[in-house]
Amino acid sequence: MEIKNDTDLESLSGSSSEPTLSYDRARDESVPVPSGPERLASHASSPSRSHFSRGSFQSWSRGAEGLELGSCSIEQMSFPELKERHAAATATVNSLRERLKQRRQQLLDTDVVANYTRTQGRTAVNFSSTDLVCCRTLQGHTGKVYSLDWTSERNRIVSASQDGRLIVWNALTSQKTHAIKLPCAWVMTCAFAPNGHSISCGGLDSACSIFNLNSQVDRDGNIPVSRVLMGHKGYVSSCQYVPDRESHLVTSSGDQTCVLWDVTTGQRISIFGGEFPSGHTSDVLSYNVSSKNNFPSPSVSVSSSNSNMFVSGSCDATARLWDARIASRAIRTYNGHQGDVNTVKFFPDGQRFGSGSDDGKCRLFDMRTGHLLQVYAQQHNNNEPDFPFVTSIAFSISGRLLFAGYSNGDCYVWDTLLAEVVVNLGKLQSSHEGRISCLGLSDDGSALCTGSWDKNLKIWAFGGLRKVI
Amino acid sequence: MAVNGGEGEGPEAHLLPPSMRQPSRTGDFLGKHRLSAAITRLSQEIQFLETELNELETTETSAEACKEVCSNTEDKSDALLPVTPGPENPAWHRWFQRVRSSQSRKWWTNKGSSDSS
Repeated sequence: MEIKNDTDLESLSGSSSEPTLSYDRARDESVPVPSGPERLASHASSPSRSHFSRGSFQSWSRGAEGLELGSCSIEQMSFPELKERHAAATATVNSLRERLKQRRQQLLDTDVVANYTRTQGRTAVNFSSTDLVCCRTLQGHTGKVYSLDWTSERNRIVSASQDGRLIVWNALTSQKTHAIKLPCAWVMTCAFAPNGHSISCGGLDSACSIFNLNSQVDRDGNIPVSRVLMGHKGYVSSCQYVPDRESHLVTSSGDQTCVLWDVTTGQRISIFGGEFPSGHTSDVLSYNVSSKNNFPSPSVSVSSSNSNMFVSGSCDATARLWDARIASRAIRTYNGHQGDVNTVKFFPDGQRFGSGSDDGKCRLFDMRTGHLLQVYAQQHNNNEPDFPFVTSIAFSISGRLLFAGYSNGDCYVWDTLLAEVVVNLGKLQSSHEGRISCLGLSDDGSALCTGSWDKNLKIWAFGGLRKVI
Repeated sequence: MAVNGGEGEGPEAHLLPPSMRQPSRTGDFLGKHRLSAAITRLSQEIQFLETELNELETTETSAEACKEVCSNTEDKSDALLPVTPGPENPAWHRWFQRVRSSQSRKWWTNKGSSDSS
């Protein structure tokens, strides 16, 4: 994200009702950011940098960049002087970001994993035409299916649809165990709590509603809302419970923030990201909002191996890694996509993650180094005005398979290591008749569920002859 | 645009030429304070970016990550693969076994064919 206006970076501060940690990169540790007015003056991360305290503005020099600033208090500096320094700092940030991008581009190899795997003599996974079969079709929604999530107990799925309902399915028997008519029909996302007793959903009401499946139904036969999480200023596009913390939920929103919630109290624990200004009307701080008017994004994925870490995909074509304990700044930003990042999912080892984008490609990033490891792209005519974009992704339990749903109804099964498409579930006989909008693997990895604009969900499993080595 | 007018001025301030009006101290201070805070955040961002640039020069190449991806992937048993390390879990086959639903008399068909709901 280039800073178009002087203080787009206001967003990086994030806000929280509780003191937050600031990740000190130079010292590789988290240090507390003082609360109250002092929070506006964050500490610096190296002794040679300034420590800003309330009401004063000490010096820092930028050596090679040639920015030398004297020591003085805010009161002594004129507004134009401050503006000038702000502009200089903004230019420095933009320049550094560009250098970072270019350096990563120089190091880039989009087929690192595939090239390496081939040198090891591996060949692509070989499926016969009857290996991956559709073994269930879950019918019941009367509108497009937008989102689905499995429980950790293997067989139950919750789905959200344009029909304004959540349905809980027993995927094994195809029975509907719950059907919830939502107060706000414009739902976009849903998730199952780790204990399987609660579900959450969110959408255009900019809120996240929690339902306890064990609640008594009301006189209309509906499960009442047990809590509403309010605070987002835009639609809620994605929600996920933190795997080992029943009461923590992460949401992502069209207001370009992610929020970590305490579901028990309904309070926001932390707010991550955000590109909204403080509201100041000065020409120095001007309003800058990007609009998003097609497929809902961004999305969020919590690591199952380290529940403090989550990744968000964004409509500025980046993915960002966050530490749930540090709201002030993303740990790392991953560039490379040429379109909105619609979907992100952690790789099973928790050290990598995949992303899918409006540019029609999926990517595999290394979380720690930031390296792009592999691009998954089908050849298409670049002059086509509407080449299919990626709507959703999921990895098989080993990570060997990457399932990717596309806007044209395709559902490619990529061999993650060889970067080859080994099956297209969208072209099989029993495939969906519309776009696949969501995907998910059962907890034991034995089944894939796909949800579609054709109003159905389908369960896919391996029905061929398996060789166990 | 600096914040002008309103605060810190008397009721007849608007009758005075601009050069003679009392400056709005409160508004200017607030504006400068916010600007200073923004500069602080930019300064911190500069440090983060410089650190990341430095790290990029010394960080390991993606070859190491590739090796890990391959080994992590090939060690895990995976029900959706035609060839996979064990152990094979009998529960993987449940999707193709006969299941009697308590609310329906339907039985699922055998392995290899699609459902009949």
